[in-house]
Amino acid sequence: MKAKISTLGAAMLVCVVCGTAAQAHHGRASYTDQRITLQATVTEFRFVNPHVQIYFDITNDAGQVEHWQGELTAPNKLARGGWTKSTFKPGDRIQISGRAARNDGRSVAIDEILTDDGDSLPLWEILD
Amino acid sequence: MAGSTKSLLSRSLTWAFVGLISCALPGLGLAQYGTGQPVGIEEPETEDGPAPVRDLSGVWMRIRPPEGGFYSNATWTEEGPELTPAGQALFGRARNSNAGGFSLAETNDPVLTRCYPPGVPRVYFHPYPFEVVYTEREMIMLYEYDHIIRRIYIDGRDHPEDPVPLWLGHSTGRWQNDTTFIVDTVAVDERTWLDRAGYPHSGELRVTEVFRRIDNRNLLLDITMEDPEILAEPWVAETLHFRLAPPHWELSEISCSGDYLDFSTFEDFLEN
Repeated sequence: MKAKISTLGAAMLVCVVCGTAAQAHHGRASYTDQRITLQATVTEFRFVNPHVQIYFDITNDAGQVEHWQGELTAPNKLARGGWTKSTFKPGDRIQISGRAARNDGRSVAIDEILTDDGDSLPLWEILD
Repeated sequence: MAGSTKSLLSRSLTWAFVGLISCALPGLGLAQYGTGQPVGIEEPETEDGPAPVRDLSGVWMRIRPPEGGFYSNATWTEEGPELTPAGQALFGRARNSNAGGFSLAETNDPVLTRCYPPGVPRVYFHPYPFEVVYTEREMIMLYEYDHIIRRIYIDGRDHPEDPVPLWLGHSTGRWQNDTTFIVDTVAVDERTWLDRAGYPHSGELRVTEVFRRIDNRNLLLDITMEDPEILAEPWVAETLHFRLAPPHWELSEISCSGDYLDFSTFEDFLEN
C-alpha cells in the first residue's frame, strides 16, 4: 500500500508538470466536444478494467498510417452487452466515431462502432 | 472466463451479434452476454408480476426513472443540501471531479485519487449493479464496484454502543411490510463524501434507506441523510430506481487498485 501511494504521488507530480497529458486516471477532460469518425483497422484489443481499449490504425489524408487508441466503458458492462475479450481481432475493419482528444492526441472516446456489415454494436450493458 | 470456452465464443460471435442487434430479447435463451455461459441450467427469464414477499434477492441495476424526473450520476437533489457553517467550511475544501470531466491534478475526490471506498450512500453513484443475498442474520449487498460488501443485520440487533467507523458503516434493517424494507446506517468513515459533488459528513451521519419493491422487476430507493454537524436539515434524496437484471447477467469485478493507476499507454496517444 505504501508503494502504491508513492507511485500515485509521483504520478500526481508528473501530472502537475505535464498538465493534462499524463494522468493516472483520466476523465472526460482529456476529450473535446469535437466528434470524429474514423475508418479503422484494429491492431490490438484490450478487454480490461476500467476501460476497454481498442488500438487501431487509420490512413490520414496524406496517405500515412497513424496509430490511434479508442476508449470504451468497463468490460463488465460490455460483457453484459454481448462483448467478450475476443470481440475484435487484429485486422478487423470497423468504423469508429467519438470525441477527439485534446491537443490533437490520437485518442478517441468512442460513442459508436459500426462493423463492416454496417451493424452498430451496443456499447453498454443490455438490461431488457 | 474459462479459457476452454474461448473457441466456442469465437465461433458463435458472428451470428450472436446479428441476433443481439436484431432483437436483443431475453427470449433468445442463449446467454451470449454475461461474463460466462451458464451450464446445464434452464433459467427463467425475468418476469413481470407482483413483488415476492419480503425478498430483495437478485441483481439490481440503476435505471433512469421510467416516468422521467430528476436523475443524476453525481448528487441527490437539484438544489443540494442545507449546510451548517461547519458543513460549508468543509464543503469549501472539496474539489470534485465535475462528474468525470476533470484532470487528476484538479480533484481531491477520495474515490478517484485514493481508491477509497465510496461510503454510504455514495456507493449508489458507481454505475455498476449490486446483488442481494441473504443469510439467517444478514442481508448482504454485493456491489460489483471494488468488491464492496455491505452487511445489513436483520436479526433485530441494535447498532453497537460506540461503533467503530467503517467505510460502509454499520447497518441494520427490518421489513416494514411485505414489500418495504428499511435500513439504518451509522458510523460511516468521515473520509467518504455523501456524493460526487463533494458534500461531506461527520461521524454523526445517519443514513436511512427505504427500499420499496413495487413489483417483481422494479425497486425504488428513498435515501435520507441526517448529520446535525454538517447538514442544517435532513437531506432527502430524489428516488432511485433499480431494475432486476436478467438471470444471465453476472457480476464481475472492477477494482480501483492497480487497474486505475496504469494508463501509461494511453498517455502515449495523448502526447501524439
